Amino acid sequence: MNEEIILKVENLQTKFRVGKRIVHAVNDVSFELKKGTMLGIVGESGCGKSVTAHSIMKLLPKNGSITGGKVKYYDNNGKAHILNEYDRNSKELRTIRGKEISMIFQDPLASLDPVYTIGSQISENLREHENISKKEAFDRVVSMLFELGFSNPEERYYDYPHNFSGGMKQRVMIAIAMICNPNILIADEPTTALDVTIQAQILTLMSKMQKTHGTSTILITHNMGIVAETCDEVAVIYMGRIVEFGNLEQIFNTPMHPYTKALLKSVPVLSSGGEKRLEYIPGATPDGSEVIKGCAFADRCKHTMEICRTKQPVESIVDGSHRVLCWLYDKGGKNA
Amino acid sequence: MFKYYITRFAMLIPKLMVISIIVFIGIQMIPGDPVTRTISPEVYAHLSPVQLNELRQELGLNDSMVVQYLRWLSGLLRGDFGYSLVTGGKISGIIASRLPATFELAFVSLIFATILGLLFGFISAIKKNTIIDYTNTVLGMIGISVPPFFFGLLAILLFSIYLRWFPTGGRMGYGHVTFFARLKYLVLPAFILGISLIATLMKFTRGSMLDVLSKEYIKVARSKGLSEIKVNLKHGFRNALIPIMVVLVMRIPMLVGGTVIIETVFNYPGMGSLMVSSISGSDMPVVMIGTFIMTSSVLLASFFVDVFAAIIDPRIRFGTDAGGGNGK
Ligand SMILES: Nc1ncnc2c1ncn2[C@@H]1O[C@H](COP(=O)(O)OP(=O)(O)O)[C@@H](O)[C@H]1O
Ligand SMILES: [Mg+2]
Repeated sequence: MNEEIILKVENLQTKFRVGKRIVHAVNDVSFELKKGTMLGIVGESGCGKSVTAHSIMKLLPKNGSITGGKVKYYDNNGKAHILNEYDRNSKELRTIRGKEISMIFQDPLASLDPVYTIGSQISENLREHENISKKEAFDRVVSMLFELGFSNPEERYYDYPHNFSGGMKQRVMIAIAMICNPNILIADEPTTALDVTIQAQILTLMSKMQKTHGTSTILITHNMGIVAETCDEVAVIYMGRIVEFGNLEQIFNTPMHPYTKALLKSVPVLSSGGEKRLEYIPGATPDGSEVIKGCAFADRCKHTMEICRTKQPVESIVDGSHRVLCWLYDKGGKNA
Repeated sequence: MFKYYITRFAMLIPKLMVISIIVFIGIQMIPGDPVTRTISPEVYAHLSPVQLNELRQELGLNDSMVVQYLRWLSGLLRGDFGYSLVTGGKISGIIASRLPATFELAFVSLIFATILGLLFGFISAIKKNTIIDYTNTVLGMIGISVPPFFFGLLAILLFSIYLRWFPTGGRMGYGHVTFFARLKYLVLPAFILGISLIATLMKFTRGSMLDVLSKEYIKVARSKGLSEIKVNLKHGFRNALIPIMVVLVMRIPMLVGGTVIIETVFNYPGMGSLMVSSISGSDMPVVMIGTFIMTSSVLLASFFVDVFAAIIDPRIRFGTDAGGGNGK
């Protein structure tokens, strides 16, 4: 496996201003994405997965901003771009968006502009970044649609989104994201809004695309089952913090964090349809508007100790790339 | 797609029928001898009662209402609108001299107000909660709530009497036959007539734009690396326009109705001022026919806006059923 890193997120912090309140959506997120691999980011809804993804591309709404940390992207020439330092609509960022880093969003039903044909929406991305003729763009779009399983792509090109089902719309979104052959694809819960049968189909398609094009991929999901089937590495996120990071074997065979363990007990089985209810984790997810002194999971954890409530845990390296954010594994003692 | 336009057009016919029936009944209820409305008053004055009765028979005024209505309608379609009670002239002649003036005024006002309303609304939306937005909102509120005749008088005082930029009223001087020569007579009334439309459109455009800009596909457009201008215009504005078309259709009657006041204030020789003078002169046939013509134009204008709405929204063009590949 290639060990070259293509994206590095360091201590990312993102906040929203809602009236006079500040919502701490992402508190401390660090991970790296290795070239040609698929990284899963897993966590319950509301824990900051989408905000992390939007922060990377600086697609945050106007009331949100990155208040700390770094997002480093290494392009084909090995040049490092500090994405968070670029202005949100700057030329630098716009040449990367869609071309080098692209994104698939959570809701395929709302992701397509109703007044343009799907073909023109795919080729729009292509023609924004590559200086090619209409004809060439058309051919590229048609072959991409074919690769994504549309049987009569020349006709589909001229269809409007309202003629398409959810699964078809998500395949169009994949086409938009992949048409420029990006280095990084960020897929934010690409199957959550779809029927279970379609979910498996889209995931298979995404895996296939990721392998044939060698795209480094971040797959965001709340479903450990999806991670198990598609990812190489896993970041478990809770309340805007990565609480555990490791490769697939490490996370599934030797999960460390109590939250990861709880998530694993709720693995929904994709093929059988329906999801098993998450093992009951007592207590509610805290609201991001209050700053918690200790570990955010303390109120819901079975192993809570005194220190958990007073001090933010420090990261412990378990072995190699496997790291966990929990006082249970703090080998160095009181190193906070 | 073609079918959509045909159906839309066909739907105009029953509406026009209903209006024509109402106008016909209205004309029947006008007091006085109906013969006077079909022949010129000069001829009428020289006829004896016997001749008049023969004439009545001949003109079919003794026929049943339905027959009379159909005859009246076919006359209407051929441009035979009857005679004015006051001047004794043919109504068709009067209308022919007035309608183009009002059409010019309403059309220029509509285009002008639509462009300004959309522009200000668009700017307000993308500059949301800035001083520009607040200024637009306050001006819009004034535009909606202050009556147009007040603006009209104010404009005449300022621009015509004090600054002398524009004439105080009328439509054309001697030899002013081209549109551009008439333009200086048109600027003030067209602008004043459009003020409330500008304000309304601005308000709706702002709301509609903000609504569209919060949509997921706008984020997708940004994620493609498009510039803000492209995102706001190509994906934002184009979609925001669809509900605004509905507002525009609903406002056209008010615009046409507004000509009555504006034409009076500016002494502009159009349908509106004709209506006012006919009402005060009890020239009911002219009032009825005038109403019919103005209502029909409103319907026709709405039809064109519908056509335009279909051009910008594929869901209207192809029917709204989701799923199924019923392409073109
Ligand atoms: N535009 C916004 N304004 C205010 N708060 C937001 C906004 N977007 C997200 N948040 C908050 O950030 C937190 C993380 O949200 P999100 O990243 O969407 O969660 P998820 O992991 O389900 O994708 C949530 O508490 C949410 O309420
Ligand atoms: Mg999300």
